[in-house]
Amino acid sequence: MLLDVKNLAVSYGKNKTPTISGVNFELDEGKILAIVGESGSGKTTVIRAILNVLPGGGYVSEGKIIFNGRDLSELDADSWRSLRGKDISMIFQDSGAMMNPVHTIGKQFVEYIQTHSDLDKKSAYDMAVEKLELMNLPNPENILKSYTFELSGGMRQRVGIAMAITFQPKLLLADEPTSALDVTTQAQIVGELMFITRGTGAAMIIVTHNLGVASYLSDNLIVMSQGKIVEAGATDDVVKNPRHNYTKSLLASVPEMGRRRYV
Amino acid sequence: MSEVIMRVENLTKKFPVSDGKFLTACDDITFDVVKGETVGIVGESGCGKTTLLKAIMNMQKPTSGKIIFHGEDITQLTGEAKRQNYRRIQMIFQDPTAAFNPKMKIRDIICEPLLNFDLIAKSEVDAKARELLTQVDLPADFVERYPHNMSGGQRQRVAIARALALEPEVIACDEATSALDVSVQDTIIKLLVKLQREKGITYIFICHDLALVSMFSHKIAVMYLGNIMEKIDGDKLSGARHPYTHALLKAVFSTEREKNQYIEILPGEIPSPLDVPSGCPFRNRCTYCQEICTTQKPPFEEIENNHFVACHYPLNKAH
Ligand SMILES: Nc1ncnc2c1ncn2[C@@H]1O[C@H](COP(=O)(O)OP(=O)(O)OP(=O)(O)O)[C@@H](O)[C@H]1O
Ligand SMILES: Nc1ncnc2c1ncn2[C@@H]1O[C@H](COP(=O)(O)OP(=O)(O)O)[C@@H](O)[C@H]1O
Ligand code: SF4
Ligand SMILES: [Mg+2]
Ligand SMILES: [Mg+2]
Repeated sequence: MLLDVKNLAVSYGKNKTPTISGVNFELDEGKILAIVGESGSGKTTVIRAILNVLPGGGYVSEGKIIFNGRDLSELDADSWRSLRGKDISMIFQDSGAMMNPVHTIGKQFVEYIQTHSDLDKKSAYDMAVEKLELMNLPNPENILKSYTFELSGGMRQRVGIAMAITFQPKLLLADEPTSALDVTTQAQIVGELMFITRGTGAAMIIVTHNLGVASYLSDNLIVMSQGKIVEAGATDDVVKNPRHNYTKSLLASVPEMGRRRYV
Repeated sequence: MSEVIMRVENLTKKFPVSDGKFLTACDDITFDVVKGETVGIVGESGCGKTTLLKAIMNMQKPTSGKIIFHGEDITQLTGEAKRQNYRRIQMIFQDPTAAFNPKMKIRDIICEPLLNFDLIAKSEVDAKARELLTQVDLPADFVERYPHNMSGGQRQRVAIARALALEPEVIACDEATSALDVSVQDTIIKLLVKLQREKGITYIFICHDLALVSMFSHKIAVMYLGNIMEKIDGDKLSGARHPYTHALLKAVFSTEREKNQYIEILPGEIPSPLDVPSGCPFRNRCTYCQEICTTQKPPFEEIENNHFVACHYPLNKAH
C-alpha cells in the first residue's frame, strides 16, 4: 500500500468544527482514485493535507497520513523539501496562478528541475522541452520564453502538468487538472495521465467535477459532501449503483448529450 | 421577432510577438447575437475565445473589425460613454481569483460595481450582498469572508453574483461553471435561464462541456485557431457537419463506460497561432483533407437555415 489516510480531520482557524472529518481511504501503487463531490466539501483540503500545504490557518486536527510506510506528520522541513515535487507532486486547479508572473516559464521550469536534481542548466532546459512536448504543447522553446499571462488557461495548465510529471512521482495529486481544458485537449491529457500512471506505476488521486472523466480514469471513487465521505467503492459500482442520495443527485445532474435541455 | 442585440463584424485581433511577427488570435470573425438568447462558444484552448470576449467587453481593442451593440460600434467608444457601456455588458472570468482584490471582503467585492456606478448607498451594501449571495446558493454570512478563505467553486459563485449585481443586458461567461460540481452547476444554469426569461438577458457562454453547451445554448459557435468553423442551433448539435465539430463530439467522456470506448483522441498537434496553415486551418488534423483544402480557405457559408459551416466537404452527420 502506498498511501493510507486514517480518520483524517482538518480545521481552518481556531476552535472551529473541522472542515473535513472521518476521512479514511487507502491507495495502492499504480492505482487511480477519483474524488468527486460538492463544491466546498473539502476535496482540495484532503489533497492539500496529504502534501502538507494547507493554506493559512489550516491544520490536521486528527488522524494520520502514512505514505510509503512513513507517517508524514513526523517529517521535518528538509524531508518535506525532498519529497514534495519529487515523490509526491501536485497539479493545481490553475497551474498558471501558482507560477510567478514576472519570470519566464523557462526560468521557473529550469530552476524547479535544478532544485530537485544535479542537472546543469542546459540539460535541465532540454528536459523541460521534452516534458512540454509530452504534453503536446506546440513550440516548447517559445513557451519557455513566455510569461504565464501570455498563454491561454489551457496552455498554462499543460505546463503545470509537464512540471508535475518531470520526476515521475510515486504519487500524483491532481486537483481538477482538466477543468479548464476543452474536450479534445482534455481527452489527450486524460490519455496522457493514464499513460504516465500506468507506464511508471505512479498512483494518482484526481479531484474532478467531470464524472465522465472520473469513470473513464479511475479504479476507485470517493464521493464527498459537507466535509465527509458519503460513498466510496470501485468506480463502476458507485456509478452504476449509487446508494447515497447525494451520489444519486450528483449523477442525475451530469450533463449528457441528448438529455433534457434547459432552454 | 428575434432582435439582433450585438453583431460581431470581421473581427480580427493580432498580437505582436518577437521579430516583428504577429500571432493571430481572432481571424475575421462575424456573427450575430440575438437578444435574450445564449450563444455557446466551444473550441480548443488557445483558439481565441477569451480574446474574442475581451474585444466584446471592450477590454482589448481589436486590430480590425467592429462590434455593433445597439447600432453603435463599441470598439470606438471612449471616456464616459465607454464606462457606461461596461454597465450593460458584464463578464464572468475563467479565473475569478485573478479578478478579485484579495484584501477585500466578499461583501465589498460583490457590491463594488454598484458603488462605482453610484447605484446604491454604502448603507445598503450589506443587505444587497447578502441577497446576491443567496441568489447563487451561498450562505449570506459569506459577506464577511475573504476570497482565499473559500473553495474554488464558492469563489466562482461570488463572481457570478457580482456580475448579476448590475443587471446587465449581456453577460459574457468564460468557463464560468467549470469549477463547480455538476449539481451546483445545474442550480446556476437554472438561475441563469430564469434571469434570461425574466429580464431578457443575453449570454455569450464559453464552455468546454459540449453536453452542457448543447443543453443550454440557443446557438453554438465552434472555434478553431481564431476562426469560427461551424455555427448551429443548440438543439441540433448532433447534426453538426464540420469534421472538427465531429472530433469534439467524439472526445466527450460519459459516465457510461460502454460509451467511453468510442472516445477518439484527435490526432496531430494544434498548429501554433503564429503559423496558421494555408487554406483550411484544420487541414493538418483532418481525415477528410483534399488538395483544395491546402490552398483555399473554405468560406463560412450558410448551408441550411441558421447553420453555417466553413468546410469544402461538410460531413453528413455526427457518429
Ligand atoms: N484558507 C481557508 N480558510 C478558511 N476556510 C477555508 C479555507 N480554504 C477553504 N476553506 C473552506 O473549507 C471548505 C472546503 O474547501 P475546499 O477548497 O477543500 O473545497 P473543494 O471540495 O475543493 O471545493 P471545490 O470543488 O469548489 O474546489 C469550504 O467550505 C471552504 O470555504
Ligand atoms: N496579451 C496577449 N499577448 C500575446 N498573445 C496573447 C495574449 N492574449 C492571448 N494571446 C494568445 O492568443 C491566443 C488565443 O488565446 P485565448 O483567447 O486566451 O484562447 P482561449 O480562451 O480560446 O483558450 C493564444 O495563442 C494566446 O497565447
Ligand atoms: S475544408 Fe477540408 S481540411 Fe478543412 S475541415 Fe473541411 S475537409 Fe477538412
Ligand atoms: Mg477544490
Ligand atoms: Mg480562455
